[in-house]
Amino acid sequence: MATTATINISSNIAPGFSGIQESMTLTQAGTITDIDSTTGLQIRKLSATGAVDLVTMANELVEPKDSVAAKMYIRNIGYKGVIDKSIGVTIGVNAEPIGKLYGGDWMMLPLTCIDADDVTANPETDDTVVLEYVLYYEEN
Amino acid sequence: MATTTAAVTLTSDLLSAPMSISATTTCMKAGTTADGLDQMEYGYVDIASGTAYDIIGNTPTASKASKLYVKNHSTDETYYVSVVLDAQAIGKLYGGDWMFIPADFHDGNADIEITATGGTNKICYALFHEGTTLVAS
Repeated sequence: MATTATINISSNIAPGFSGIQESMTLTQAGTITDIDSTTGLQIRKLSATGAVDLVTMANELVEPKDSVAAKMYIRNIGYKGVIDKSIGVTIGVNAEPIGKLYGGDWMMLPLTCIDADDVTANPETDDTVVLEYVLYYEEN
Repeated sequence: MATTTAAVTLTSDLLSAPMSISATTTCMKAGTTADGLDQMEYGYVDIASGTAYDIIGNTPTASKASKLYVKNHSTDETYYVSVVLDAQAIGKLYGGDWMFIPADFHDGNADIEITATGGTNKICYALFHEGTTLVAS
């Protein structure tokens, strides 16, 4: 029952930089036991500015355990197959902006899953954009 | 043009049918479609337990399209670093975990701060950005 994530970064910015290729197996905190719970892959269509919750921690049907090894993947997949690099959506945790996902951009971040630490999305324009996301966590 | 691409493959067998996601993005400057991020910082540091450190020394220009990669290379799975942004706890990276995020650096307090627990954690990081204010000597 394993969940794995592999990242591959290539860049020609710095001469001699050979890139980054790393994998991780998502495990429960402080152990080598595989993480065992997920929300499954979801999408959220956004068509207006203003922050909305992607994940409202206190409303999850299964309460995630707090302050352990949860991870979340989010990607701006554009809309109807059109990915616009000029349209960004600010992702935040508990109203704190983390950064902006432009069209096609993705992120993988660790999460506390504390009830107050909702994951929010705030589009910078009213253009329709879709986010896909999945949360991996430990059950409380 | 400077070109930086970041690809991810995520696989899981937690559901009844295996899930696999693959995604690649070219890291562009904020709001552009033709100009890639053109500056970077890459490092590997040992961080002793207990003290909070800013992982990035020279904070990039605020509210751009910077991307930050951090991996905890500690081989002990009980070791971890807590990631905090502007006093907001984000999450923990245990030994072997990595993260990749768009980093906003929206104000002077919005540095990415990490605190090690368990022992000396070995942290690799890479920041791709479009400008920073260097500190004059």
